[in-house]
Amino acid sequence: MSYRFDWGPIWEARALILDGLVTTVLLSTSALVLASIIGLVVGTAASSRRLGLRIGAGAIVELTRNVPLLIHMYIWYIGLAFLRLPPFWCGVLGLAIYSGAYVAEIVRGGIASVPVGQGKAALATGLTPVQALFFVVYPQALRIVAPSLANVFSQLIKDSSLASVIAVMELTYEASAIEGQSFRTFEIYITICALYLLLVTMVTLALRFLPGEQENISGLGLAGA
Amino acid sequence: MPDVILQNLPFLMRGLAATLQIAAVTAVGGTLLGLAVGVAVYLRLPLLAASLRIYIEFVRGTPLLVMLFICYFAFPALLGYRTTAEQATILGFILFIGAYIAEDVRSGLRSIKPGLAQAALATGLTCFQAMRLIVIPLALRRIVPSLFNQYVRLLKFTSVASVIGVQEFTGSAMLVNARVFAPVTMLAFVALTYLVLCLLLSMVGRVLHAHLAV
Amino acid sequence: MPDPIIVLKDVSKSYGATPVLRRCSTTVARGEVVVVCGPSGSGKSTLIKCINGLEPYGTGSIKVEGIEVGAKATNLPRLRTRIGMVFQHFELYPHMTALENIVLAQVHALRRTRKEAQARARRLLDRVGLASKADARPANLSGGQQQRIAIARALALDPQAMLFDEPTSALDPEMITEVLDVLVSLAREGMTMMVVTHEMGFARRVAHRIIFMDQGEIVEDTPTETFFTAPASERAKLFLSKILSH
Repeated sequence: MSYRFDWGPIWEARALILDGLVTTVLLSTSALVLASIIGLVVGTAASSRRLGLRIGAGAIVELTRNVPLLIHMYIWYIGLAFLRLPPFWCGVLGLAIYSGAYVAEIVRGGIASVPVGQGKAALATGLTPVQALFFVVYPQALRIVAPSLANVFSQLIKDSSLASVIAVMELTYEASAIEGQSFRTFEIYITICALYLLLVTMVTLALRFLPGEQENISGLGLAGA
Repeated sequence: MPDVILQNLPFLMRGLAATLQIAAVTAVGGTLLGLAVGVAVYLRLPLLAASLRIYIEFVRGTPLLVMLFICYFAFPALLGYRTTAEQATILGFILFIGAYIAEDVRSGLRSIKPGLAQAALATGLTCFQAMRLIVIPLALRRIVPSLFNQYVRLLKFTSVASVIGVQEFTGSAMLVNARVFAPVTMLAFVALTYLVLCLLLSMVGRVLHAHLAV
Repeated sequence: MPDPIIVLKDVSKSYGATPVLRRCSTTVARGEVVVVCGPSGSGKSTLIKCINGLEPYGTGSIKVEGIEVGAKATNLPRLRTRIGMVFQHFELYPHMTALENIVLAQVHALRRTRKEAQARARRLLDRVGLASKADARPANLSGGQQQRIAIARALALDPQAMLFDEPTSALDPEMITEVLDVLVSLAREGMTMMVVTHEMGFARRVAHRIIFMDQGEIVEDTPTETFFTAPASERAKLFLSKILSH
């Protein structure tokens, strides 16, 4: 191997990398929140007893997730250019809508896994349908779907790198820029891989400590100890 | 169909052909790679299994675009070889999807109850034969849905290849758009085409799964 | 003893600190039918899985037709074609038809031609009364039918002895007889058999000897009549009183 490692230029570019990292975090977080809202609404509609709502929600999911993410971003950035949205928000919208479809599928599956009697019981105690969803159905569903949700969210963080294509100055964008100046190709990509891994690990760990996990611990016989 | 698309149809179709070709080649390559890696990790082959786990975890933590950059810029720089955008794309996609398929294969293998392999061994088959004739075929049948999920992802991924300059479908459409400036029409056409192709592919997966279910 | 096929000598095995087999010794001669019984967790299944090398054993020696099962040089696949095995949960290959299940090892382990193997498979299906089910998948067969096909799969290799690991305990009561009938006819033909089972009626009818195990130990190894009329140990008496009371 003739390649000589030189991490100096990477260290010198640390301010740029940090900027990129902050943008990636902001981009991912905004998209994550928006995707969760979209997913919750569409997923709940997909679980509705009304056929029209179910079909509509299903169509939205299929229509959205079968179009490449890059196209989603181009739609906001190029297709709807007259809206003059800043690249950052084009990235957020593309990412949120695309990932929202996946969240919706998970929400639908989660609701389906909660026994129907639970919702009925909540209504019987005088809760409104919305209260029943938020106090009884969603919390139970969340425990079941947490691992799949963690998957989609870590996918979202990695997918956010595509925003570099529409000129959002996030991590991958800055990496390309640094690579273009310093030619420290391998070092810079390894560095940002490590940063993505860090972000993904944080999300996965965060979702592991959701309420409900204590029961597993007591199941291991630790509660009485 | 709108005029801008009709007039540029041959050019767009060449792009689409490139997309399908990349998707097909990398689907086959990624499946073979995933199968080999998944089986090696499942069998806990000494040393090999540990390094393959690192490969899987590395790829699963890396964005696809970064993977492409690594294959286009970093690997050639590190190992001193020349590559084209097409070659880098194919290598990147195979390495990328192979890691995900390896995980699917591994969990598929783990879902086959050990009694079946024992029965195969009890009739005098070797370990290798038991894997090849019983355990692997059963595991593959079980993971057909997740395999096709990966193929659909792959088909969508191909659009990213345009970023490093591969003349596939999305890239061709953007080129046409740069000339005729009809972004809404072009993007709608592109989105619709991917939609139809992905839905078709999922349908093939569902039919195959129903056909192979045991 | 004339012509021993299976010889166990001081076989011990443990999972970590838990012993599962303690110094088990016995011999099965050609043509003998031996029933292995005992409370659950007594090591019966482990013992017979050790005989064809599906489970490794710690110390002691197991010889099948004079070949040491645990020796490194032993060609286990070859040895296993000489002793058929039938499992509690049948373990038919779900992606193959009944016929293909019986053909597979003949072709791949014994190198028979496919045509030869299919002819043999059809004869055996006929023998276990399932000639009409040759092309059925396991999922479309009853438990009793699956187990009879599993027996045919083992017989197809022309084994010198057969091991049965609780062949009827996963079956609904009405299907037990159809499987036991096959076992009885095999015994009548002089097949060497080792059968782990709780079916004491069957044991009394066909077994030459009963091995009673408890906590990994062979407590009794006696002729059938002696076992049922005058068991030597308290543990066997207790077991018999429990199992025969209903």
